[in-house]
Parts: sequence; C-alpha cells; structure tokens
Amino acid sequence: MPETEALMPRTDDNASLVALLNATWFGANLPPETQVRLAGLARRYQASAGTTLLAEGQLANELGIVLSGRVSLRTLVPEEGWITILTVEPGDIFGQSAVVAPYRSTSTVVALQPVDVLALDGPGLRAALAADHDLAAELYPRLLQAMARRLSATRLQMLDLFAR
Amino acid sequence: MTSVTKSATGLLPRAGFQQLIDLLVEDGRTVIGPKVADGAIVYGELRSVADLPKGMGAEQRPGSYRLVDHDDDRLFAYAVGPTSWKRFVFPPTLDTAESHRDDEGHVSFGPVGHDIPRLAFLGVRACELAALGIEDRVFLGGPYTDEDYRARRSSAFIVAVQCAEPASTCFCTSMGTGPGIRDGHDLSLVELADGFLVSPGSPAGSALFERLDLVDPTPDQLTAASDQLVSARDRIGDPVVTAGLHDRLLAQLDSPHWAEVAERCLACTNCTMSCPTCFCTSASQRSDLDGHAAVTERRWESCFTKGFSAVALGGNFRPRVQDRYRQWLTHKFATWIDQFGTSGCVGCGRCIAWCPAGIDVREELDRIAPPAHVVPGNGHAAEGQTRATRVFRVEQARHETHDTVTLALSRPEGMDWASEHGEFVMVSVPAVGSVPISISRRLPTGLELTIRAVGPASTVLTGLEHGAEVGLSAPLGRGWPIEAAESHDVVIVGGGMGLPPLRPVIDEIVEHRAKYGEVHIYHGARTPGDLLYTQELAAWSARGDLDVGVTVDRADQYWLGRVGIVTHLFDHARWDGSKAIAFVCGPQRMIQATINTLASHGITPDRVFVSMERHMECGVGLCGHCQMGPYFVCKDGPVFSLAQLGDVFGREGI
Repeated sequence: MPETEALMPRTDDNASLVALLNATWFGANLPPETQVRLAGLARRYQASAGTTLLAEGQLANELGIVLSGRVSLRTLVPEEGWITILTVEPGDIFGQSAVVAPYRSTSTVVALQPVDVLALDGPGLRAALAADHDLAAELYPRLLQAMARRLSATRLQMLDLFAR
Repeated sequence: MTSVTKSATGLLPRAGFQQLIDLLVEDGRTVIGPKVADGAIVYGELRSVADLPKGMGAEQRPGSYRLVDHDDDRLFAYAVGPTSWKRFVFPPTLDTAESHRDDEGHVSFGPVGHDIPRLAFLGVRACELAALGIEDRVFLGGPYTDEDYRARRSSAFIVAVQCAEPASTCFCTSMGTGPGIRDGHDLSLVELADGFLVSPGSPAGSALFERLDLVDPTPDQLTAASDQLVSARDRIGDPVVTAGLHDRLLAQLDSPHWAEVAERCLACTNCTMSCPTCFCTSASQRSDLDGHAAVTERRWESCFTKGFSAVALGGNFRPRVQDRYRQWLTHKFATWIDQFGTSGCVGCGRCIAWCPAGIDVREELDRIAPPAHVVPGNGHAAEGQTRATRVFRVEQARHETHDTVTLALSRPEGMDWASEHGEFVMVSVPAVGSVPISISRRLPTGLELTIRAVGPASTVLTGLEHGAEVGLSAPLGRGWPIEAAESHDVVIVGGGMGLPPLRPVIDEIVEHRAKYGEVHIYHGARTPGDLLYTQELAAWSARGDLDVGVTVDRADQYWLGRVGIVTHLFDHARWDGSKAIAFVCGPQRMIQATINTLASHGITPDRVFVSMERHMECGVGLCGHCQMGPYFVCKDGPVFSLAQLGDVFGREGI
C-alpha cells in the first residue's frame, strides 16, 4: 500500500460516490446499476503531492480514478533516474493492473499535485467482473479504451517525433 | 536577294546553306546546332556547314543509341540526341547570386549578372519547340520568374527543321507536339533532296527570310515536304494513349507496378538530365577561405537523387526508388498539368534511349487503363517578379532552449513591411547559404524568427548576436487563413518546432480577441527543456480567455506538468468542434494523430489547416524540390486545408 500517513481517507455515501464517478471520463454514462455496483467497491482518498500511490512490482489492490490533481507514471532507469512516461489527469485511471493478471503494477505512481482519488477495490472488482456479465460488458470496453489510448500514445512517444 | 516575294515559302538550294549560317553570324550570333561528338549527334557551336552531321543518323532503342551513316548529303537526317536546347537557355550550372561580408560584419547580397550571348539555334525539332514552350510556362509563367532564362530565351533566334527521320523511341505524335512544326520558331526549314524549304515564323524570321537567296519551290518540292511529314508521322504512330492519362496515373499511386519498375530503375538521373523540360535545381555556396565573399551556384538537379526531398530536421519524403520514379512519372504526365496547364512531356524519347536499363516510359504508361480527361490551360501572366534579398539586422537573440534561438530582426529603412504577406522567409548568410524559416512574429520594425540548430546554416543563424546582419527574402508562401477563423472557435496545435509558425496566429487572436470564439492552444514538446515560449504560454494562459495546454513526451521527476502526447491535451475535452477552425503544425505523424482527434470533435477536413514540411531551396516554385503531388509546397503552401490535400496527405513517398 502507499505511504498511508499521506493518505486521507474520506467517507462518502454511495450517492455522492456515484456522482463523482459520473463526473469522470471513465465512469460517465455507465448504466445507473453499474455505477451503484462500482460505488459499492469504491473508497475515496486524498494524498499530498509527492506521495507514492503505488510502486512498480507491487500488488495493485485498487483501480484508481483521478478526481482531481495529477499523478505520474514513472519508471526508474539506471543512470537516468526516474523517468515519467505519462501523467494521469482528472477523469482517467491508473492501477489497471488490479484487474489484469498478475495484478502487479507496471510503473510507480506518484502524486505530482495534491490528488483526490476514487479507488475501486481490486479483488472485489475482479470478482464482480467474473460474476456479473452485464457489469463486465459495460466496464471492459472502458478499460480497453483507456488501454488503447495509452498504447497509441506510447507508440508516438516511441517514435520520438520531436527529436528531429 | 530573294526572288520570292509573295509566297511565304522559298527554297534555299543545298549549295547555298552556308549563307544561312553566315547571315546569322553576320547578325552577331553564335550558331548552335547539331554536330557529331562523343559518338552521338549533340548540339554545339557551328562555324560552317561542314560542321553539320552530313549523312549521319542515329538508331535509337530503349537503352541504346548508335550512330549510323546514311551515306547521303542530308544534314538533318537524325532524331534528337542526348543534348537539348535547355542547356543554352537554362545552363547546367549558373552563378545566380553573390554575397559579401566586410570586416565590420556588414553583409550585402545581390544577383550575379551575365553577359547573355546572342545565339541562334539551328535544327530545332517540333518536340523541342514544344519543350521550350513548356519551359517558358515554368520559368516565366509566374508569379516568380527566372530573369536569366528570360534573357537567354529572348535573345535566341530559332531555326526549326522538320523531322524526317524519327527514331523508334519517338512519341511526339501522342503528346501532340510533332512532328510538324507549328509555332515558336523564327524560321522553319524542311530538308529536301536538293535544298531546304524555308518559311518565316516571326518578324525576325521574316527579316532574315528576306535576306536569303531563295528561289520559288516547285509543286513537287512542296508535295515532297508534305509527304515527308506524313511519312514521319506514320512511322511514329501513336504509341501512348494520352486520353485521361492525368487521372489514370493519379488513380494508380498505390499500384504495385512502381515497386516493379524500381527494381530495374538505377536512379541514375539520365532521364531527367536528358529531358528537355525537367527543371529542378539545387543551389550550393562557393566561398573564399575566410567567408567574406561567396557565390551561389545553381546546378541541374534530379528528383531521382536520394537527397532531393530530404529535409533539414532529418527525414526524407521519398527515400525509395519507387517513390522517386512515381514522383517523376506522375509529375511529368499528370501534376505538371495541374501546375502549368500542360503536360511536362513532349515525346522526344530521350529518356527511353538514354536509360541504361532500357526502361521505356511508353510501356510503363501503357500498363494503366484510359478514361478521357480534358484539362483546361490555366493561363500564365508574365509578371516578372523576382526574389530580392534585403539586409535585416539582428536586434536581439533570445535563447528558447539549448538549441533554439529566437532572432528579432529589424527591416531596412524605408521597406514597406506591413504590406508583405507570406508565411516564411529565405534567410541568407554569406558563404553559408539560404534556408527557409517560418516567421514566428511580425513586429512593426521587422520580424522574429525562431530557429533550431540542425544544420550548418541554422547553426550559424542560432549563433548570431546583436548587430549581426542577414539577408532575407520577402515573405513567401501562403500562410494561415486567419480570416477564416473570425467568429469561429479556434483550435491551435503546435508540436515541437511547429509552434513558431503558429505564433503570429496567436498574436493576431490576442490582439483582436473579441473577433474569435473559444480559443484552445495546445503545445507538445519532446522534454520540458524543449518547450518554446514558456513565459508567453504562461501569460496567454493567465489571461483567462485562452485555453492553453502544454505537454511533453517525457520528463524527469522534477517536471510537475503533463506528460503524454499532444492529443491527450484535448481528446477528452468537452468542447464542441462543429464550428471550430483548427491550425496544426508539427511533424507529419503528429499532424496525423491530431487530425484524427480533431475529427472526433467534429472538425471536418475543410476546417483543418496544416503546414507541410518539405525540402525548400528556392522558395518560389522554380527548383522543384518541394513538390508534393500537384503542389509546390513553397508556393502553393506551406499551409493547406486537409480537404485541399485530399489523399496526398500522409501518403508514403509523395
């Protein structure tokens, strides 16, 4: 888990969690029952700038949705230090490893600004996706969309278009 | 004197042919005509009739040229050889400009003047007259003109000679240029057994005609001339179906055939060097050792050379031979028509005979099917605009990044800068050369240029300091249609060095903010250290009425801004693009990703304007380097709407 002393859990009722979910790109326009289901798996927390939310290789126990603030996805490169590959902006997700085997984070996630996060419990979400096909049919396209967006961006970054 | 007074045709007896040469020399002309040299019939200076290739012809086939002796007295019994008249009106190498730098650092630029020889071209074929006519459209059709060409062209006296011995490689009939002589000459000749039928084709030709000792031709001689033409035409046939060729070719850009031809093509450039209409050139600098004086030398160039379409920032738009062969063929037979209202081919067959691989352009064209297509001529005004280089002074050099500098330049006294439109300028430094640089800001006193050090010239420019002088052309090219954005929302996307050309657009919007709707400005760079205009970006953002987004492709842990590609700045944005105009500049692949995202916001191709990067040398559409399909990017662009570019955009090897 992240450095817990920097995390400030909040208690929100289900309705307000649904409202928060609806305000994000990832969670908007899902069927109400799906949103309620996800809200049941969610907790909300805040973290100060500089907090490591998830470390590379660590078990990803939560799928995070950024409500506000900015988090960076970093990797440590020998002799270069920490390189930020991508920042995750409000509405987008991090910690998808929570739903993809082997459930270990592929990068280190650090808050660049004070962040407000809606976190979906990983084991609970996996169980729900396995049991509830309607939920899976709604959620997997969103996850795929997020992954595809990230993949196409990574391709362009690999091309290093601005190097020349 | 002539005994011919009424007829427009007289007979010059064979024994009297020297008189024609003598009269031309008497008029102060150097006579250029056919002679045997180096195993071929080439054009060179003639002093007497004895220099002409008496009785000689040439057997020509794909990849083959062999002199043959007809064993007769005819002087013009050959089909065109490897040289063309192009070299006498458009020399293979020419000093075009000179530049100087004195000990105080003051620079000066000027054209190199040449004494234009008074030439007479003797033995010009119909296809070659057509070639000169095509060159006239290229060099004098405007808006920019080649005044050296104009001078050489207008000083030449042209004696055309009817083609009697076409080669197997000829196809002027298909291209509509021959073998009959129609116009463009001063005097025309038809060689018969016992003399030459002579007809004037211009006032100057009439004057010479009057001085020749001519006799009236007999009806049999006139018939023989007519028969000769019919025979030549019959022998050539009509080997190329030109109906619809323009559209057919452009419909075949993805044909696998290009790769097949490329397996045979050596990219040796013989076809373009022997072509009487190919006009591409490159310029290089020749300087003294201390760089105080330099001359710009223009030389013939070929679109078949590998570096022809390479750009300064790296990359090559036509790296493969198949790209270059396609460029050459589609330009010659299709996009040339779009640019100049005429095909670029006259059917002389030189590219067939002189191709070492024996590639026959007629066969290559014949593999594509024919629907008819008529292309109207586009009319060419002879405005005679040339490109003067004026001296600007560096007032300030501001470092934007480790390799990028913004130069603030002041214009010369008295120059009416406000009326100068255009997107970029050619920047010249003595002994270094000229490079195209986009204008990154217009100032009342001059302009700003943001330059990245990527090559010798740009490295020199980025090292200039206050007080240094450089040469600038007038602003060139078509810029951003900012007027189209009035009353609309505006989306501006600049990636890397794509932001500087967009800065004048942002300046205009800032100055007249009320004229525009929502304005979104997105800038992507490689790293935080490569971001341009960081203070201005912050100031624009702080205004509150501009949505400014900045991102970098990668960053270290100390960067607190966004990391990711430029489209991530707005792909999840909630704005509606259905009424927006977009201006996009950056690497082509970034533009492609950007326009996909703009489309998802409802911005249609007619409302997306992009600036295309190409190799530019002359800046005015005369050197050929920046061709992209039917466009010269320097002259017709560099800014185009996506709708205008159509499927040219993003196509490999264009």
